[in-house]
Amino acid sequence: MDKAREPVIQVKNLYKIFRVGSSKVRALNGVDLTIYRGEFCAIVGTSGSGKSTMLNMLAGLEKPTKGEVIVAGEHLENMSENQLVKFRREKVGFIFQSFNLLGTMNAVENVALPLMFRGIDKKTREEKASKMLDLVGLSKHKKHRPNEMSGGQQQRVGVARALVLDPEIIFADEPTGNLDSHTSEEVLKLMRKVVQEKNQTLVMVTHDNHLAGFADRIFHIIDGKIVKIEDRKDYKEEEQ
Amino acid sequence: MRFLDLLRMSSTNLLRRKLRTVLTVLGVVIGTASIVVMVSLGLGLRKTTMDQIEQSGGLTTVNVYYYEYAVSSSGSSEEQTQRINDEVVEQMAQIPHVEVASPVLSTYVLVKQGAYEANFSIRGMTYEALQSLDIDVGEGQLPPDDGTLQFFYGNQTLTNFYNARTNQYYWDTMEAPDVDLMNDPVFVIFDMDAYSQSQYGGTDENGQRIAPPKKYIIPTAGIMAGTLDDYSDNSYNVLAEINALKAQLKKVFKNKAIPGQPTNSAGKPYKEFYYDEVYIRVDSMDHVSEVQQAIRDMGYETYSNAEWMEQTQNQMATIQLVLGGIGAVSLFVAAIGIANTMMMSIYERTKEIGIIKVLGCDLGDIRTMFLMEAGFIGFFGGLIGLILSFIISGVINLVAGEYYRGISYIPIWLVLVSMVFAVLVGMVAGFFPALRAMKLSPLAAIRNE
Ligand SMILES: Nc1ncnc2c1ncn2[C@@H]1O[C@H](COP(=O)(O)OP(=O)(O)OP(=O)(O)O)[C@@H](O)[C@H]1O
Ligand SMILES: [Mg+2]
Repeated sequence: MDKAREPVIQVKNLYKIFRVGSSKVRALNGVDLTIYRGEFCAIVGTSGSGKSTMLNMLAGLEKPTKGEVIVAGEHLENMSENQLVKFRREKVGFIFQSFNLLGTMNAVENVALPLMFRGIDKKTREEKASKMLDLVGLSKHKKHRPNEMSGGQQQRVGVARALVLDPEIIFADEPTGNLDSHTSEEVLKLMRKVVQEKNQTLVMVTHDNHLAGFADRIFHIIDGKIVKIEDRKDYKEEEQ
Repeated sequence: MRFLDLLRMSSTNLLRRKLRTVLTVLGVVIGTASIVVMVSLGLGLRKTTMDQIEQSGGLTTVNVYYYEYAVSSSGSSEEQTQRINDEVVEQMAQIPHVEVASPVLSTYVLVKQGAYEANFSIRGMTYEALQSLDIDVGEGQLPPDDGTLQFFYGNQTLTNFYNARTNQYYWDTMEAPDVDLMNDPVFVIFDMDAYSQSQYGGTDENGQRIAPPKKYIIPTAGIMAGTLDDYSDNSYNVLAEINALKAQLKKVFKNKAIPGQPTNSAGKPYKEFYYDEVYIRVDSMDHVSEVQQAIRDMGYETYSNAEWMEQTQNQMATIQLVLGGIGAVSLFVAAIGIANTMMMSIYERTKEIGIIKVLGCDLGDIRTMFLMEAGFIGFFGGLIGLILSFIISGVINLVAGEYYRGISYIPIWLVLVSMVFAVLVGMVAGFFPALRAMKLSPLAAIRNE
């Protein structure tokens, strides 16, 4: 169990303040949290509570106003734009709410995209992407373009794309926000399965308490502050 | 990212917006084609001029003229330049870098054979000068140095002949006159005054009709190579060796005044010959203006192709500058077009750029991708523009006709330079849009609108 307690993400006293005109919006108002390797965490809160801001900060898409963000041993708050891109390329997978597949490319090419950015040749990366698509159950849709697939299928492509690099950490901002509840569960179960197999860390934002129930731990956030951390591990073990 | 992938990405992006790409490329096509055609015209004009000068006796010839009435500005006769005689020619020959200096003795004659006759000005020059004219001999040889007077005819001299029976010139019939200068005897009349007076029934001071002057048979030394249409510097001239010509003139006119030669106050001719023209050959083109200046200082007018070419070169530089400027402006407009297209495509692809940034695409790669796209537009615009230029150039040369063949000339360096330039214009135009793409926020991608 010791190995599992190795922290991958550490956030210390994190603030993010947006200035809108003369007023200030405190999107994050002093957040401390630690996420360990292999964990599946959910960040839950009402709309506007600061969930997305939190996630963007962890993925190095936004700079904190104050505080420390240490992901996979690296301090993101001091990194340049170039370093952040490199960090994401090497350590992070990202799943979007609105899938964000490139419309001009088919499923395989979309999944292979992060590998292309790493400079892997076309043949190797498409083989790998193809395997990944088999894994998410899209063997028959490899040559389909995004507009030739259903929402659920598109999001599976999105999942495959996030996982193809074998990243240490996967971030997902409301990955099932555009899917019906049945499909949502399917996608979530798939994500959890893949992540657990490879001992990857998954951080997911949602406002749906039911979906958050799939996670090991749930961070409840209200007005930019973490108000409750719910540990589901014991509960799940009891359940079984 | 691999170079091949960058190439693939940017080319598919271009193909995605076919019409817009085609329109932007069109701008570059027009810009490149106008520059290339303009410059090619400038170059061609220059090349044709050079060729013509080469044909017309090269660039090392200086002609010196004496004008009897071109008195110096003060008008006093004392200051008047000395008439050119052998002594003056000898002085000119002593000027550094002068290789050949020969007097040119011109005299008007009538040449007759059968029904045909023609007026010519015979140009007598020294044997050495005749040799230095670089004449391409077709038949026979140049006038010899043995003291016998022989004429050498230019290849276009036949067009001067007039058929006295039909009253037709060559230019009326466009048929070569039936004259064989080499094999049939040629009769020459030197005393033109007497000839015209006898033709129009003039009388001498005793009231007697003037008899037609004596005709001499002058053998033909040779004829220049070339057809009746090949123009060159001496193609209309009849040349002779000067000493033989002088001897002939003295014989014909005895102690009368030779036409064109000055007389003293008593109307008597001088002992020596005077000339209106001197032919000078300089050792190299670089010394032509120096020699010309020396001769001008002696008080004579000079003319040289080299001098003329310097002037035309300056004119041509101006023409080229203006023409090239027009092209440059159109290419500049095309560059604005490229920048605009790139900007539009970046706005359209904001989300896409954001996504690839979130997925970890290197900032440098993004910039390269957009620069390549702009470069492609420049490249294809340049390529098609060049093809178009070659077509336009061909058409211009076709329309310009025989004389101006090659007026539009596209050398290989122009092809390379314009290609590089077109690509460069594309990349420079795409530079700021590419920087902008690089700096776009990745958050744009994940924000759900
Ligand atoms: N770029 C910005 N400029 C100004 N204010 C911002 C900006 N981004 C976020 N905010 C503010 O920060 C707060 C938190 O926003 P955030 O997007 O994190 O909410 P959220 O929890 O993800 O909500 P939702 O569930 O609706 O996605 C909101 O009040 C929002 O108005
Ligand atoms: Mg959100």
